[in-house]
Amino acid sequence: MGAKEDLEILDRITSEFNLECKVQRKGRIWLDTPTEGFVDFCKWLKEQGFTHLSAISAIDWPDEGTYQLAYHLWSYQDRILITLKVKIDRQNAVMDSVTEVWDGSAEAHEREIHELFGVKFEGNNNLTPLFLEDWEGLPPFRKDFDWREYVRGKYYDRQNERERVYYD
Amino acid sequence: MAVKESTKLKRLIKAIWIFNWFNSCGFIELVPVVASRWDMERFGMIIVGSPRHADVLFIAGYQTLKSIKRARRVYEQMAAPRVVIALGACTMTGGMYWDSYNTVKKLSDYIPVNMYIPGCPPRPEAVFEACAKIFQHVEEMD
Repeated sequence: MGAKEDLEILDRITSEFNLECKVQRKGRIWLDTPTEGFVDFCKWLKEQGFTHLSAISAIDWPDEGTYQLAYHLWSYQDRILITLKVKIDRQNAVMDSVTEVWDGSAEAHEREIHELFGVKFEGNNNLTPLFLEDWEGLPPFRKDFDWREYVRGKYYDRQNERERVYYD
Repeated sequence: MAVKESTKLKRLIKAIWIFNWFNSCGFIELVPVVASRWDMERFGMIIVGSPRHADVLFIAGYQTLKSIKRARRVYEQMAAPRVVIALGACTMTGGMYWDSYNTVKKLSDYIPVNMYIPGCPPRPEAVFEACAKIFQHVEEMD
């Protein structure tokens, strides 16, 4: 079986699902996906050969009040990278977990996003912090987290002559 | 008869056993110290696998709030007399991570440090100079 072209994959996706998608460039497909039925869609894509979940990334849009999650899927067979873009509410950041589809690799990525952005992944039963033990305060990768202010409060003393420079 | 602390140290200094605790780039500069170019074994310094055997603890680079807990456990397992040498700018002020929310800024707030070696990362020569100062200090003890 030869490698399929981008458009062939795209046609197959649009005939099965009603989604907005485009070929960004050769071998790269962008898809805007809704949260409903997301896991089923992922399962279907995995059956089509997208067996490798290379990363999940999160983008914070505070003005819009959303997080955008981007799932990067790779097909070894067709050499195509699909990016699934999902928008979720920022205040009530809950997303269905894809651990049942991609297992351990999904678990680690979701754990990291849970720790750094505070997104809750329902169905992932290991969301313990990866790097931040005993963390209090906002998830640090949120855009409204003022890390400099946090560091001053936690580590530096204005009265200390050596550390006053951090306040100027 | 109780052996004097300085006598103990002088005996010890014939063979310094080192335990390394490296988080970051400090390791890169310590490798040549171990290897044949600078070869610290000439001075009886050798890396050991367990902190319980070690006399000296080398801590290189920034510590995160997670790793500092492990570093303290390593330190607590070492038998006295013990020496802690901190390498690099990160251990002194946080270095380039001075405004990171998750790194230790000054190592001696968490672990007693006997000597800081500045540098980003420190050169092997600086590491040897620090060790030489400790040797000298021990030899001058009463």
